Amino acid sequence: MEIFATLVSILYQFATNGAFLLLSALGLIVILGMMNIINLAHGELMMMGAYAATIAYHHGLPFLFCPFLAFFVVGAFGALIERTIVCRFYGRELGALVVTWGISLILSQGTLMLFGPFLPSIPIPGGSVGVGQYSFSTYWLVVIALSWALVLGLWALYNRTLFGLQARAVMQNAAMAKALGVDINVIYMLTFALGAGLAGFSGALFAPTVSIAPFMGQQFVAPAFITVVVGGATNVIAGAVGSSLLLSLVKTPIGFAMGAFLGTVALLLAALVIIRLMPNGLSAVIQRWLDRRNRFA
Amino acid sequence: MNDRLQDEDRSALESTSTMSPLPAADRRGVLKWVGAAGAGLVGGLGPVYLRDFEYTRSVQAATDSPVKIGFIEDESGNLSVYGLQKLHAAQLAVKEINEGKTLKGAPAIGAGGLGAVGSAAAHPPTISKEGVDLNVVGDGGPKSVNEVMFDEDADVLIDSGDKGILGREASLVSVDGQSNNALWQQLARRLIQQDKVDVLVAGFASAEREAIRPIVDQFKQLYFYTNQYEGGVADANTFCTGPVCEQQVIPVVQYMVEKFGPRGYTIAADYNFGQLTAAWTKAFAPLVGGQIIGEEFIPLSVSEFSQVIARIQQAKPDWVMTLLVGQNHHNYYPQAAAAGLKYPMASTVNMAQGYEHKRFKPPSLANMHNAIQYQLEVPTARNRAFVKRWMTMFPKDEYIGEMAQNTYFTIHLYAKAARIAGTTDQPTVKKALELGWSIEAPEGSVFLEPGTHHCAHYIRLAVCDENHDVKFVREWPSIQAWWLQRLGVNLVRHPEYKQYTPDEDPYFKMFLKKS
Repeated sequence: MEIFATLVSILYQFATNGAFLLLSALGLIVILGMMNIINLAHGELMMMGAYAATIAYHHGLPFLFCPFLAFFVVGAFGALIERTIVCRFYGRELGALVVTWGISLILSQGTLMLFGPFLPSIPIPGGSVGVGQYSFSTYWLVVIALSWALVLGLWALYNRTLFGLQARAVMQNAAMAKALGVDINVIYMLTFALGAGLAGFSGALFAPTVSIAPFMGQQFVAPAFITVVVGGATNVIAGAVGSSLLLSLVKTPIGFAMGAFLGTVALLLAALVIIRLMPNGLSAVIQRWLDRRNRFA
Repeated sequence: MNDRLQDEDRSALESTSTMSPLPAADRRGVLKWVGAAGAGLVGGLGPVYLRDFEYTRSVQAATDSPVKIGFIEDESGNLSVYGLQKLHAAQLAVKEINEGKTLKGAPAIGAGGLGAVGSAAAHPPTISKEGVDLNVVGDGGPKSVNEVMFDEDADVLIDSGDKGILGREASLVSVDGQSNNALWQQLARRLIQQDKVDVLVAGFASAEREAIRPIVDQFKQLYFYTNQYEGGVADANTFCTGPVCEQQVIPVVQYMVEKFGPRGYTIAADYNFGQLTAAWTKAFAPLVGGQIIGEEFIPLSVSEFSQVIARIQQAKPDWVMTLLVGQNHHNYYPQAAAAGLKYPMASTVNMAQGYEHKRFKPPSLANMHNAIQYQLEVPTARNRAFVKRWMTMFPKDEYIGEMAQNTYFTIHLYAKAARIAGTTDQPTVKKALELGWSIEAPEGSVFLEPGTHHCAHYIRLAVCDENHDVKFVREWPSIQAWWLQRLGVNLVRHPEYKQYTPDEDPYFKMFLKKS
């Protein structure tokens, strides 16, 4: 029973670490995959989602609806900054990097000025469930399930809807898609809004587990970027899922045996090795395998 | 025709030459550089200056030059939950000094009290966590025991006979460190060299203190560090008025081993304070019959604790020692509660400083024990009066933590020392502070030891129950900061400028083998 409980605990930690990486990275990878823009304001968009959820919760909205509200609020904000600022930098990645960093500074210091150093936090909903000597938070189990549902939803969006078809076309060859009648400005705006909305959704999901402070986005930026770089932008969903699974697979056993700090060190070393072996990320390898399978089916 | 072309070519070449030393000698280039430099100035210095513009300006405009109390704390960032309380404490103290008030105390042997006979209840009263009125929710039972008790003064704030400090207004020059060590160093230099403050009261995290202590020593600035910390600072310019490990770690570990069992597990913040306090705990536990079975050090930026929780559950200790610092780390408590972790906890930092029992829903902090020298709920008459004064000045504040109270009495202590010295000249005030001071703080009587520059404190063991109400189950009216004495530190005879670590104390290794 003890061995079984320990195995369940390790599985739970693996799923939690993976869900944390996946949710942190999803918004970033959607934007990177479409427009090749590295959105340095990603952490602040997550912070914005957490703030939206916290303020709505403290005004009486049940927590069940708060992440969805955050999705739409931050998505709308993303569409706004895309239309006014980011669209001028397509094709100029370095300029986009600097301008999104500027947006992140404005957002974080602006939140500090408007809302003060911290907001009262949301209590973690749900209780716990025990297996042997270990116990697990039901909220995290729900978050893990939600992250899988999110990945499935994104896959359906990209492969079964008209928007998804047009988006994939624009990702492959923007000029040809434009020539075939796809309005690429609308696709870019919707994609940026989707990426921002996903960041806000993730931020709202993490909100009960962290302190609500203006600089809280910073703790997600590093894991998000590492996951995105290891995943690569060739295939958004395969990259995000594969990367978060692989990195979590490395982090969990070492973290369990030797402490969370060394787990993070192992994650960074693994990222180093993977990028050296696969410079375009995991998704490039997965995409090549998929193409080869389709070609010779 | 060929010659003309050659001339044109040559002049074209000269005008597009990239060998000129000036980066841009035309109007557009100059405008760009000026614009960039201006933006850089505003961006870089604006946030630091704008907030304190009025302070610095008002200081410069005063004709009768005020006594400048330099103050650096974190008003934003990870450590702002502590820094804001300390800022309010400093503002309250400065206001009281300027109104002609001071705390009782002198270079003498303390206020003393009147012994009297009275009745006591079997158990201590439980102080409610709601609000700031120190309401008693559990009365402690019928009063039956007859013992000799001490009669305490209702308040210890008396007239100083002085307006401000030596007739000059006390002015607080405070800046925001933003929980960023590099910024702390810049601000320390600015306060010492530019504003020329008469005393510097600064520092929450040990990393911040160690970042600015070399600067303090370079300019021989009188510096008060009012925070609880890991101990060991032996610096002729620095006076540490916060409690240290021997005053907090030992009482709480002793109590936990007595009540819950010998096996403890430490989780600590991964920087100098966390590492050194954990080393103290590990060295000391065997001497009271306990043992630390595992330790984990968590970087300050981590706020996700599921792996830490799983490792604690695997180790199965009797109690957990939590030395967690900063808002990111405080999320451990709701996460552990949500995961169903029910071990009793001991700490020297949590509850009394970051008021987690008010910020997180019950029962996140159930069974938390802390050997504190002060927290809001201390049920004495002088503390009630202090809390009332504070809440009158800052009605929106939620809590008064340990370090805030230290800041408060430290600034009053400085004023008293300056009056005895008759001047604000820093070397003289440093000598005046070595007279053997006793000051009546809201916590009780505090004694500033001349040789070690540290304070003996009144220690109480606070326990937080499942509703997050607080009770004090044990008291030690005076615990000295004896570790530096054992190391032979006497800053009056032999000035030093360093910090001692447990590695330099042979006693730790001598008795560690006992486990």
